Amino acid sequence: MTQYMPVAQKTSANITAIRLTMLLGAVVFLLLMLFGIVMRAAQGQIINLEPTVFYQLMTAHGAGMVGAAALTGSAIMWYFLGRYVQLSALAYNVFLGLFLVGVVLVLGAVFVGGFAGAWTFLYPLPALSGGSWEVGAATTFVLGLVAIGVAYLIFYLETGRAMIAAYGGLGRALAWPLVFTGKMDNVPPPAVIASASVTVFNTVGIVVGAAVLVVTLINLYVPSFAIDPLLAKNFIYFFGHVFINASIYMAVIAVYEILPLYTGRKWKSSRLFAIAWSAILLMATSVYPHHMMQDVAMPGWLLVMGQLVSFGNSLPLLGVTAFSMLAYLHRSGIKWDLASALLVIGVLGWSLGAVPAIIDGTISVNRVMHNTLWVPGHFHTYLLLGEVAMSLGFMAWLTKGDRESAFAPAEKAAITAYVAGTLGFTFMFLISGATSIPRRWAIHFPEWHLQDRIATAFAALLIAAFFTLITFYVVRLLRPARA
Amino acid sequence: MQQQILILTIVVMTLVAYPFWRVVRTSQHAPQPPSPAGRIERMRTALLASLAVTGLVVAVATLRPWPHDAHAAPGAQIVRAVGYQWYWELDTEEVTAGRPVVFEVASADVNHGFGVYDPSGTILFQTQVMPGYVNKVKHTFTEPGTYRVLCLEYCGTAHHDMIGEFKVVAAR
Ligand code: HEM
Ligand SMILES: [Cu+2]
Repeated sequence: MTQYMPVAQKTSANITAIRLTMLLGAVVFLLLMLFGIVMRAAQGQIINLEPTVFYQLMTAHGAGMVGAAALTGSAIMWYFLGRYVQLSALAYNVFLGLFLVGVVLVLGAVFVGGFAGAWTFLYPLPALSGGSWEVGAATTFVLGLVAIGVAYLIFYLETGRAMIAAYGGLGRALAWPLVFTGKMDNVPPPAVIASASVTVFNTVGIVVGAAVLVVTLINLYVPSFAIDPLLAKNFIYFFGHVFINASIYMAVIAVYEILPLYTGRKWKSSRLFAIAWSAILLMATSVYPHHMMQDVAMPGWLLVMGQLVSFGNSLPLLGVTAFSMLAYLHRSGIKWDLASALLVIGVLGWSLGAVPAIIDGTISVNRVMHNTLWVPGHFHTYLLLGEVAMSLGFMAWLTKGDRESAFAPAEKAAITAYVAGTLGFTFMFLISGATSIPRRWAIHFPEWHLQDRIATAFAALLIAAFFTLITFYVVRLLRPARA
Repeated sequence: MQQQILILTIVVMTLVAYPFWRVVRTSQHAPQPPSPAGRIERMRTALLASLAVTGLVVAVATLRPWPHDAHAAPGAQIVRAVGYQWYWELDTEEVTAGRPVVFEVASADVNHGFGVYDPSGTILFQTQVMPGYVNKVKHTFTEPGTYRVLCLEYCGTAHHDMIGEFKVVAAR
């Protein structure tokens, strides 16, 4: 059943491009973390910041972080998928180029044009700024997102094409014969099954996102061309949910591919694994109503579906990926190092962050937690301790020398500080949410400042640790390459 | 309620972290062949089944009665509210405790969030406010005092200034 041996370290992905993408992603993460700590410090009145500037930073931080998470996740997927299918380097370079064009447009819209409509550009806010920004700034922002969307369409068209060429269809790349009959020859490896799932659901997400972006754009110039704001909200959260989650679903491929090299136990494409990834495909595209639980105009059944699917999401995560990882690790005699530790932390952080997310996916909890700091509390957990940790793990492995490298005390210290800083930072968000502090408020009441200040201190710790971890990467990058 | 949610969350997060800690602690022990597949798969099935059952039980327990029921029974007080960039307009300054209040909220421009805070600063409930819709939310206040309405949906650069107020008075 398992005829796929990883072709040693060979991959059709362009290694230099991947290494540079990860470096770019890390630098963007770092820069935007600094924006983040400035925002948190401003909320705690440690520094004084004009609210307009706060909301610009918030818009840039949100859009940029989602972009950087997606970028590092896609580089991971591209790298490992390239081991099994033939990918075009040209497509990757066009993707990266267009992506950067999008980033420049988004940054220009925010810092030159003053656009502060948040990364979710909730219709009709881009057109009705209350005098804060001009149509031109909103247009530039929307065009920036369109460029990033097109970049991703090219990316997924190429991964989709390559998988169809290699496996004879996306259904086969998803191992559907195995799912439905329990038998299949030439079963695709986990990296391919996961890539196929993400390729399908994120393409759908991006197309929906593109549709609402186009409508937003027309509305900017022809205000009479209005659409139902509730419909627009459905489209935006559908796209937003799918897109940010895709970044983690792509990054976890690093865990499937790298940990077996440490445990000596190959990650198997079992029938359950294949079922899980088909379920992820379905759930990623049907869970978004959990962002709209306080939209009482929504059909009730959609909200119920949001609650059920949100809970259901935990099955493939906890029951398949996390459980299998622990089973593979159990008494494996693994020799820990920076890369393996970060990858395992990535799965732990993702699982931990899912807990407050799922609890908030209960309509009656959501009624008092929605749009409080509870929400950044859970997503910062699974992004910082999940996606970012997996990316750091991938980077550490990518630049690991061929000699078996030990786990240096400095590396252990950096990881410990990163985990402690992140947990402190995100728990403060959760506590603030439970104290009813709204999210996206530039100015906080004095009774909230203490929490904001403690959170700022944890953020400083985590940023210092992150900086150290990417310094390790840069130092290792300058050493001779691994194939 | 928020406090219980926080405690529950921390408990569940600890439960999730525990097996990671257990496995990692012994992971370096001399390599052993993986445990028999049968045993692992039985554990996994138990985990999946208990998650699924928990999800269903929680769903039934939390969805009935329907949390968004805003049906105005006879005798209910009606408050109409409109959100503007960046203030609230309420047509009533006072409601009476002990009798249901139905808030009918609308927006004059963009999306807002109608979050009602009790005198101690805790959210009691909220609803989204959208242009083109009148969203209804029902609540029965028990404590007299000054309540505040904070905007809970980002609506532009003075979003944090959108604070409204009304009073709940004891029934005569
Ligand atoms: C040191 C690290 C970080 C700090 C200090 C930080 C801080 C913040 C703050 C203060 C906010 C606004 C909270 C509010 O609503 O009042 C925020 C929002 C956000 N952050 Fe971070 N953050 C960090 C890392 C990250 C990372 C790594 C990601 C993603 C990979 C991320 C994604 C986001 C997103 C998507 C938002 C929502 C923006 C919005 O509400 O429009 N953050 N962050
Ligand atoms: Cu607002």
